[in-house]
Amino acid sequence: MSIWRDIKGTIEPFWITLRNMFRPVVTVEYPEVRTELAPRYRGRLILTRDPDGQERCVACYLCSAACPVDCISMQATEAEDGRRYAAWFRINFSRCIFCGLCTEACPTMAIQVTGFFEMANRNPLETVWEKEELLVDHCGQEPDYNFYHHAGIGVAAARGENPGEDKPVDVKDLMP
Amino acid sequence: MPTLTIDNQTVIVAEGGSVLDAAIALGIVVPHYCYHPALGAVGACRQCAVTILEGSQKGLKMACLIPAEDDMQVSTCEEEAVAFRAQVGEWLMTNHPHDCPVCDEGGECQLQEMTIGAGHGIRRYRGNKRTYLNQDLGPFVAQEMNRCIQCYRCVRTYKDYCGGEDFGVMGSQQRVFFGRFKDGPLESDFSGNLIDFCPTGVFTDRTNRFRTRSWDLQQAPSICPHCSLGCSILPGGRYQELQRVRAGGNRLTNDSFICDRARFGSDWNNHPKRPREARISGEKVEFPYALELLEERLEKLVEEYGGETLRLLGSPRASFEANLLLKKLAEKYGAPAPYYDAHPRRAFAARMAASIPSGQLASLKQLRESDLILLVGVDPLAEAPVLALALRQAARAGARIVALDPRPLELPCDFEHHPLTQESLLRGLSAPEENELLESLRQQLETSQRPVLVGGGELLGGEGLRLLLHFSESCCGSHDCLIFPVLHGPNSFGGGILGATGDSNRNLIEDLENGNVRALICVETDPAIEHSEPGRMQLALSRLELLAVFDHLPTNTVATADIFLPTRTIYECAGTFINNEGRMQAFDPVLEPGIPIVVTGSGGHPPRQFETTPPGSAPRSAVHLLQWLLKDRNDLFGLRRQIIKELPCLRDLDRLAAGDNGRRIADCGDTLEESRTEIWAQEGELQVLPITARYGSDLYSRWSQSLTSRFEEPSVWIHPVEAAERGFVNGQKVVLRTVVGHFHLPLVFKAKMARGRLIVPCLPGTPLEVFTPGGLSLPCKIYSEVDNA
Repeated sequence: MSIWRDIKGTIEPFWITLRNMFRPVVTVEYPEVRTELAPRYRGRLILTRDPDGQERCVACYLCSAACPVDCISMQATEAEDGRRYAAWFRINFSRCIFCGLCTEACPTMAIQVTGFFEMANRNPLETVWEKEELLVDHCGQEPDYNFYHHAGIGVAAARGENPGEDKPVDVKDLMP
Repeated sequence: MPTLTIDNQTVIVAEGGSVLDAAIALGIVVPHYCYHPALGAVGACRQCAVTILEGSQKGLKMACLIPAEDDMQVSTCEEEAVAFRAQVGEWLMTNHPHDCPVCDEGGECQLQEMTIGAGHGIRRYRGNKRTYLNQDLGPFVAQEMNRCIQCYRCVRTYKDYCGGEDFGVMGSQQRVFFGRFKDGPLESDFSGNLIDFCPTGVFTDRTNRFRTRSWDLQQAPSICPHCSLGCSILPGGRYQELQRVRAGGNRLTNDSFICDRARFGSDWNNHPKRPREARISGEKVEFPYALELLEERLEKLVEEYGGETLRLLGSPRASFEANLLLKKLAEKYGAPAPYYDAHPRRAFAARMAASIPSGQLASLKQLRESDLILLVGVDPLAEAPVLALALRQAARAGARIVALDPRPLELPCDFEHHPLTQESLLRGLSAPEENELLESLRQQLETSQRPVLVGGGELLGGEGLRLLLHFSESCCGSHDCLIFPVLHGPNSFGGGILGATGDSNRNLIEDLENGNVRALICVETDPAIEHSEPGRMQLALSRLELLAVFDHLPTNTVATADIFLPTRTIYECAGTFINNEGRMQAFDPVLEPGIPIVVTGSGGHPPRQFETTPPGSAPRSAVHLLQWLLKDRNDLFGLRRQIIKELPCLRDLDRLAAGDNGRRIADCGDTLEESRTEIWAQEGELQVLPITARYGSDLYSRWSQSLTSRFEEPSVWIHPVEAAERGFVNGQKVVLRTVVGHFHLPLVFKAKMARGRLIVPCLPGTPLEVFTPGGLSLPCKIYSEVDNA
């Protein structure tokens, strides 16, 4: 019995190879050829800008709080005009699991996922990305959203000049 | 004590408690904003609606306003009450901006929690939101009025509780505004409490703006190191940087309130010049090497010249454990008992305060409940700010407050001020029956129900405190007249307990000067700043063969020490302080010691390389260093058990936990028999009295960069009549000549101060830093600049 099994075992792989030689090819010749990713593929994270070209990130620490692997760290600071922004912002991609929870937590649409995934390298420190590398010069998704137009503090426009706001009240007015 | 049932759970509340108190005790969440345990209820926010099923008032009621009754039946989940709370939550949110991501309160915001708790989630109102223009309230508090929900807690905190006069409510209808009449820094020394008490982000900490979220903070209950009151605080830090301090909640001491010095004066911990490496003659070395060298040199010195030539200096800044270990180190080397305060007069005051029978010491809570308070030689806002708050609470409850003090006192309440000079105060106390004022006060103290005498150790000294104790005994009628001594540092009292058995007549500076002493170990103290004669001390220190310093502040003595060992601050180690009322309170470490990331990354990205310093090279606590020298292997708990064996009056020490209410010491023994002759100047001679300034005089606020905006300009104060006799005008530049040097200063008129005296506040970084408060007044001469030339 065993000799027949051995003969079958020798010939069968040749047969499978021969059979598949005439089937359509499914392997993509990466990196020469790129596959099409799913529209909601979660790859590298970016920090986007608002329509005015300013950084969207206000360093509210919600993404770092939401991150299940603690790969995001940052320090918030204040600009002259009262804008809150990240003095530094660091993502450790060797720890990141690309779950996208940070983008769900982000109240200003600043942190977004992209389809970019080619971040492998031989130096572990190079997988730690700083704010300069994360920041892009476009709005990503939600191209019209500007958090500071809805926040009610006078950063993008003067106080009371944003949509949905009344002019500042005169506190010394006693009129009914 | 009424027993009532809420949501089918039965609870007993204290007499006078409300239904809301009962619900909170049970852990049932009833949303509320205007109610706060320290402020009481006003029923303004209408958020805490519950249904009273059985009781004298039935139906939908505000839980904070309904007193708990026996056999009351309350439901928090009746449909009507739930709908009411959701509706109120939605109303309160109609104008609240969409700015939680840029609000510092986010994450610890009562409005966030209570809105969700009230059942409001999705905004339905589509109209415009109201906006306000904010005010600039100075360097401590940032305002964002758009977030306001008009709960009035800020006014009740700032005006009613803290007695601030420059803040209030303005406007009507939809324009109600909480702030100052004009932009400008908040004047009250308790302005920071607005930050704690605002349930949302209208008032936030400007010194900690945008630095952190509450969930990222490392926090631990601690004790404020700025004065002797030992207020409980809750410091928080991150990335090896101490970032903020909030009030703790010890109802027996500070009761949820702290002063601005405590709240905003904590960045000395992150001082860029803070010494963090061991040094031998200024050269940086590994700390085990420095420690071994210190031991070697001490042993050699003791062998050659005997233990008599070694002196040890503890400190009111160091923990009780460290001070006790210092005593053991002295025993080990056969050295005389250590000193616990570099300033001899303050040390005597601490010893005297520690010898007052513990039953006669008042707590801040008893002070708040007192009906007659006599302040003798104490300026609460400078020496112990939260004491001023306690006085205000007593005054609000109808107490009379009488102050005898040479300084132009300010208090956040009505009081009677008798501006007596330091000398006439002491002389009066030594023979109260001959003094008309004291005699009439004695009679009033006898007839009042709960009188308290507050004595300032700085002005009165130990001798004055002893006289005050006798005075209080003379006015004990049917009840005890309690004493509240105000001392210098957070552990002055502890030093007083330890120092009581030592030979108190030794004089450190004279021993140093005549060469009897060859080596001095200073633990968390700088005698060249804290001694009553800093210049003389500095000279004396330079004659030492071996000066070893354990400290964490960048003082001059640290730089000139032969062997320097860095220590951990109170935010980096555990320990115990004993406050001025004899309350032992423990503190826990908040952070690991290390250079803050904001420094290593110079504000930008933290460096990416791995640690360059070997593990274990971070500073150790003073307790650890002393234990190493003593070869003592106890942990902190074991150490405390050992202390109890030696000092039975501290028998509750091992039951302390950081964040609890602390435990009072038992009587340590007989009242100190020690007495010291002081030569009090006569009336009529012009004398200058150096006093503690409100900001900058204690060593911690001296190195707090955020407090520098509150430092006063150097000046010399004079009574206008005194000035007129000498032909001076207000603001005139004068020359003040004293034994410690002469100073060019502007003259400032203070109508409420004592006659015959000049007063200078001791301010760091100015020529006036050579004065040390806590002594007697000094002879002086004053000239106008023209005459001097």
